[in-house]
Amino acid sequence: MARLIALFLGLGLFALAVAAPVTLRLPNGLQARAYFESGEPGKPAVLIMHGFLQTYEFPTIHRLAENLADEGFTVLAPNLSLDVPLRRQSLACEAIHTHTLEKDVEEIDAWLNWLGRRHKGPAVLIGHSVGSMILLGYGESHPKTRVRKLIGVSLVEGRLKPDESARKPLLDEMLRRIAQGDQKPVIRQFSYCQNMTATPASHASYLGWSPERVLRAVRKSPIPTVFIMGSLDDRLGENWIDQLKNTQATVHVVKGANHFMDGEHEFDLLELILKELKGL
Amino acid sequence: MRLSTRPVSVSTLSAGFIVLVGLLVAAMGGLMWIELENASESIRKKEEESGRQEISQALKAMSQKATAISDRLAQWDETRQQLMFDEYYALWRDMRVKDARIVPNSVDSVALYDKAGRILRAQIGPETMPPRLPGQAPALVYARERDHDHLYSFFPVFADPGASVPLGYGAIKFDFIGELLAVQQFRYADISTLTAATRDGEMVPLDKLRARLTFATKYNQDVATLHRIFRHAYGRQILVTFLVLVAAAWLIHRILVRPLRLISEDIDALQTAGGSLLSSERVMGPVPIRELHNVRGSFNDYQSRLAELHTNLEKSNRDFYDQARRDALSGAFNRRAFEEDWQDVANSEQCRGCNLILFDCDHFKAINDTYGHPVGDAVIAGIAECLRQALRSNDKLYRIGGDEFATLLRDTHLHAAEAIAERCLEHVLAHDFQQHGVAEPVTISIGLAHAACKQDLTELQKRADLAMYTAKRPGNRKIVVYDESIGQVSALVANREVSVVFQAIQQPELLEFRYQPIMRLPAERKEYVEALARIRFEEELIGPAAIFPIVQARRLDVEFDLAVITAIRRDLDLNLPALANGVAINISAPGLINSKVIDALEVLKAAYPERKIVVEITETDLITQMGSAVRHIQRLREAGCLVALDDFGSGYSSLRYLAAMPVDLVKFDISLVHQLQHAGPRQRMVVEDIARMVLNAGYELVAEGIETPELLSQVTRMGFSHAQGFYFDQPQEDQQPRIALAS
Repeated sequence: MARLIALFLGLGLFALAVAAPVTLRLPNGLQARAYFESGEPGKPAVLIMHGFLQTYEFPTIHRLAENLADEGFTVLAPNLSLDVPLRRQSLACEAIHTHTLEKDVEEIDAWLNWLGRRHKGPAVLIGHSVGSMILLGYGESHPKTRVRKLIGVSLVEGRLKPDESARKPLLDEMLRRIAQGDQKPVIRQFSYCQNMTATPASHASYLGWSPERVLRAVRKSPIPTVFIMGSLDDRLGENWIDQLKNTQATVHVVKGANHFMDGEHEFDLLELILKELKGL
Repeated sequence: MRLSTRPVSVSTLSAGFIVLVGLLVAAMGGLMWIELENASESIRKKEEESGRQEISQALKAMSQKATAISDRLAQWDETRQQLMFDEYYALWRDMRVKDARIVPNSVDSVALYDKAGRILRAQIGPETMPPRLPGQAPALVYARERDHDHLYSFFPVFADPGASVPLGYGAIKFDFIGELLAVQQFRYADISTLTAATRDGEMVPLDKLRARLTFATKYNQDVATLHRIFRHAYGRQILVTFLVLVAAAWLIHRILVRPLRLISEDIDALQTAGGSLLSSERVMGPVPIRELHNVRGSFNDYQSRLAELHTNLEKSNRDFYDQARRDALSGAFNRRAFEEDWQDVANSEQCRGCNLILFDCDHFKAINDTYGHPVGDAVIAGIAECLRQALRSNDKLYRIGGDEFATLLRDTHLHAAEAIAERCLEHVLAHDFQQHGVAEPVTISIGLAHAACKQDLTELQKRADLAMYTAKRPGNRKIVVYDESIGQVSALVANREVSVVFQAIQQPELLEFRYQPIMRLPAERKEYVEALARIRFEEELIGPAAIFPIVQARRLDVEFDLAVITAIRRDLDLNLPALANGVAINISAPGLINSKVIDALEVLKAAYPERKIVVEITETDLITQMGSAVRHIQRLREAGCLVALDDFGSGYSSLRYLAAMPVDLVKFDISLVHQLQHAGPRQRMVVEDIARMVLNAGYELVAEGIETPELLSQVTRMGFSHAQGFYFDQPQEDQQPRIALAS
């Protein structure tokens, strides 16, 4: 642990100083920005996906990316565009959301392709929170990917709070709006957003991922899946970790860690990830 | 420049000083007001400048703020999102931008323009944005639209920092005034009055706007408060100054003006008070100022000294007045005082009985010549002292001549005046003059005249004179009150009589004589006659009562004696029968010691040696040069004349002179002779013894005043050798024998 801390303090700052964002014109024409650090060729490349509406500058993601880069891994941490050109900032819940999970998956694919052109070795996907869910969506829609492992950190179940039963009517409404050609943004609850302003398509794409849908994606994931969960993650539903454990995925529980694995639990997280990356 | 030398009063000076102080205070207040106004103007200009600086700072701050907001909006992801996907642009523009607090709520409007500068969506409403980008961006532009001031910020929106080609443009419309107030707290500039010289809708770059802005400065509450405070303070100062000046005026009037005025009035009063000093009440008021107190004290001291000096001067004046009216020897008032007082009496409106009493010392000249002037002075002083004691306290005693005194008794009844005169005489008679060495009795003759009305005053002195001379005559009372009988005599002593006496002296032929026979006893044979002088004037015969007062008053004794001797010589030459045996001639005391008189008598005797020439000497007590008299008597006896001592026994002739003078005959005074008939046995015995003593001494005795045969018999029996009187020769007219009087 002490060595890791010293490594973090000694090299992390250096990596921050030298790391430069990279951009990628996406298939939809938008440009997107990503953190990229080229690592050792013998080590797998790691794509780290931030959480819902966040960026790679989110502390959990950013420190993880840097630490992994410091460990010699080639690290790519893209910002989902969320239909924002060169998005640099986390998108507010109240912003007009037009993005969909499917678009997110396409962007991940585009970035993996971009990464494949720069690293010939195997790739590993690491997602945080909803990012893990989006990566599950990517695995589901791209079963022949060259990705060798998916590490889901603090994977959320996608449960609507407080009443999961509201999901279906809400989803139905969004689908009806879509069917009616109504693209006018509406304000609804999703994830931690109490008032998410999004087009019905956007709402619908994320609402489609219910806990069952997530578990199903886990179970059907073509990519070996590992979950690292915090024992004190209050954003998870009851028995969510246990439900994950009931899948084929490997589940690590970091005792005392919350949803963001911050504090000393960052090192636990890094140690677990390094452990999962070893041998790939 | 010459200042007026006309003095002004301290009241005017004080009032002027008060007014000057008041004006100075008012002027100072006015000056301070002007200074305050100047300071206010300076402050106003500084505030204007500060206001301009505030505006400049506010514009700069607003520019920075607008730029910052614009930058924030330009760099906002969602802005770029809208430029790429403008489907929900209106929602973003109208709600999202403000909800996300990318721009403040004070922003009026936000707009996005595409790369070509066209607005993404036209906006409907009051806060519309320009449909096209007005110029280069970034730019900050002012525009006044529909009476509302706006600031537009036009800025490019790039996809990525450092990019050269913008994705589009953004615009923010600010409330110009609101933003100014938001970025700057205006202390000086009154933003509500801020106006820009622009047309409606004209867009002016912000950096060029400042020159077009006009504004007013805020109402400076501090200056206004200062003005109000100063105005109130000035008002209070004026009020306080006024009250202080009123109090000062009162105090100055009380402690300075009034005392000074009183002192000045006191000094002026001294000049106009006719020499009299001011009363102490007037000059003793309290004076609160030390210097004035000193002046007042000095003035009071001066006043006191002046009063003292005045008193002394008055006393000196009184003394001088008294001295000028006092006789130094007797202490009585002098003739000048008498004349003045007499004039007062004469000028007085009323006369309720005025009495003039004249006192004359009998034989004073003889006393003076005999004992010397110091004794004569002592006698005068003694008589004056006696008279003063006898007079009433308010009666004034005057010494109007050498031995003559007078007093005026006003408002006094004649009887009271007589009583006073009696008292005066008693006091003189009671006085011990022997202490001065005077052996003879000192007597006075008193003449009293009374004027019942003012008309009588003109004659009062003359009447008193006549009364006094009458009193001087031997045998008369020493106090004589003037009456009509004396008045008749007085007529003869009038001026005409004086002239006659003088003529008689010059022309002895006017003298006539009544020759009274002197009878030899016991044979009763006529032996010689005594010549009694009269003056014949214009068929009128003037008797001795009129002649001798004039002679004595005018000191004509010697001249008259010489005239008598000449006239007798005439009668002798005429060989009048009456003079066949001889004649007795009365010679006055001055005549006895006069060589001419003695010479004339010697010549007369020499001319008629066969006839008896008897020189009768009277007034022996008045003979001052006894040695000379004795020598002359010796000469006369040697010449063959007989010398008779006249009036022996009266006040004028006494035994002392009988022993001193070698006379041949002694004539008993009529009063002594009458004692033989009318006095008691003791007095008669004394007279008889005196007569016997004189006879025994070898003298021949002549009895005067023989009027009856009984008296003649008596004197004959007593041994008298001669006798005369009415018994022998009844006078037909003015037969009174001549009585020598002296004064």
